[in-house]
Amino acid sequence: MGVILKCRALGFKYGKTQILDDVSFEIESGLFYAILGKNGSGKTTLLHCLNGILQPDSGSIEIEQQNIATMSRKQVARQMSLVPQEHLDVFPFKVLDVVVMGRAPFLKMTQTPSAKDYRLAMEALKILASENLANCNFNRISGGERQIALLASALVQTSKFMLLDEPTNHLDFNNQYRLLSKIKELCRTRKTSVIATMHDPNMAMLYADRVIMIKNGHIVAAGRTEEIMTTTNINTLYETRTIEISTLGNKKFFLPESAVAGLKINDKGR
Amino acid sequence: MIGRFKITASDIGSMINALFSGKAVAGELVAKQLVFWWIRLPRCLMAILVGMGLSVSGAVYQALFRNPLVSPDILGVAAGCTFGAALGLILPGDNFSLIHILSFGFGLLAVAMTVAIARLISVKPVIVLVLAGMVILSFFNALLMVLKYFSDPYDELPSIVFWIMGSLSRVTWNDILVITPITGAGLIFFLLMRFRLNILSLGDIQSKSLGINPSLFRLILIVTSSFIVALTVASCGQICWIGLIIPHMARALVGPDHKRMLPVTALLGAIFLLAADGVARSISTAEIPVGIVTALTGAPIFAFLLYKNRGSGWV
Repeated sequence: MGVILKCRALGFKYGKTQILDDVSFEIESGLFYAILGKNGSGKTTLLHCLNGILQPDSGSIEIEQQNIATMSRKQVARQMSLVPQEHLDVFPFKVLDVVVMGRAPFLKMTQTPSAKDYRLAMEALKILASENLANCNFNRISGGERQIALLASALVQTSKFMLLDEPTNHLDFNNQYRLLSKIKELCRTRKTSVIATMHDPNMAMLYADRVIMIKNGHIVAAGRTEEIMTTTNINTLYETRTIEISTLGNKKFFLPESAVAGLKINDKGR
Repeated sequence: MIGRFKITASDIGSMINALFSGKAVAGELVAKQLVFWWIRLPRCLMAILVGMGLSVSGAVYQALFRNPLVSPDILGVAAGCTFGAALGLILPGDNFSLIHILSFGFGLLAVAMTVAIARLISVKPVIVLVLAGMVILSFFNALLMVLKYFSDPYDELPSIVFWIMGSLSRVTWNDILVITPITGAGLIFFLLMRFRLNILSLGDIQSKSLGINPSLFRLILIVTSSFIVALTVASCGQICWIGLIIPHMARALVGPDHKRMLPVTALLGAIFLLAADGVARSISTAEIPVGIVTALTGAPIFAFLLYKNRGSGWV
């Protein structure tokens, strides 16, 4: 498992506010990276910088030893795909039409997707076991199905490197786990490198191989999930007090102390 | 051919026959021939060109602004064009190209101002864009009123008023020669960009992550479609609603994929304006401006489309 992306001393300012400051890490291929942090800590900005949507003010990003500042947008798009946090619906495209848009970086300026591109799009839906969605109106399917469709679109674009911005947003309890299991499966079967921003540390605990914790634009901790996910680190990250709950198979979970304290009072009351 | 002056299909046949055989036509046909070649034919060609140009520009605007409710009318380009052209009408010298240039310049200025205001506010882009368009539209309409107020009421004022209503009655072969290459080139360019338009309609972040520079394409496409609209307004005045309703009808028929939707939009636009112009010149003894016909039919059609497509995601 080699290093496929290097992020060195990345800095980004929005106006005068420093959003990211001296962020450095390396990404190995075939692993699931979770980025954890509070709201407004710079998670989305980091993803957008990695993908070249935003120009960093300092530092560099290299994909396989090539600096993305020297690559065209198309070249970057062939190496990594992004599933954005919000998808605003506009025109009632069919799901397959949305998925096939992932082929854009491989088409010339005036080309339209060919039969082969549509076949690839269909295959991507099949990989995610959702070929039945192909002819549905993208605006009318559920939030979970939409995430699957956008994931399929990213998969058609490239399975080498995927950036997911809060992939479980708007998903119900069960769909969150189903989606993340599918993403994890892609890491294992297709050696996809995934970087996903996440809100729930327990989700990261379950699915991520590596965790990067970001606070106020700085990395506060990064490394193997089981080593990084400690109450100390989580307390620092979210500025709260959490307690650790161990379950079968040595999996750890975390809950805010305040929530658990409430439970204890209830228990006493009984 | 529809109109107060009756020309039958067989008349046209003998005219074309006369053209190819080189023989002159005789009797009643002489007047008919003049009307056909110098009034009816350019007018119909213009209706087709303008119908295609306005409707496809509307479709492009809707994709670029990711908003099914925008059209060149709503973003103020038409109001800007109208003001520019009215200014051209008032300024000394009867100069066709001056009217065109002023019309185009102010049309583009109006759209630039609308987009700039929306960018400054930068929350809820869809609604703000439409609101900013209304601001600019009112502003240019106010400027237009200033021009009207200070214009000569016997000569300039009527020409401005009639001109605003939108009519194809002034069309000459000269207009066709100016508009055909530009509208044609614009339409071909839009068709070539059909897949890009699909992607741009997903928004900036998605376009960028798919390897496309949205600001560059948007600029090129807005300039091109504004050019088409400005030229149209400069020679025919404001013909409302086509840019808004025709793309919707096309989308309802063949779906939102621009590959199929753009040609259908062009076809429907041409048919709609040709029919509207036919109505405009035959409904009464004096012809009424076609802009009135498109507005009177367009508004209820749009209301119906809104009702019919409720809940499909574009309103």
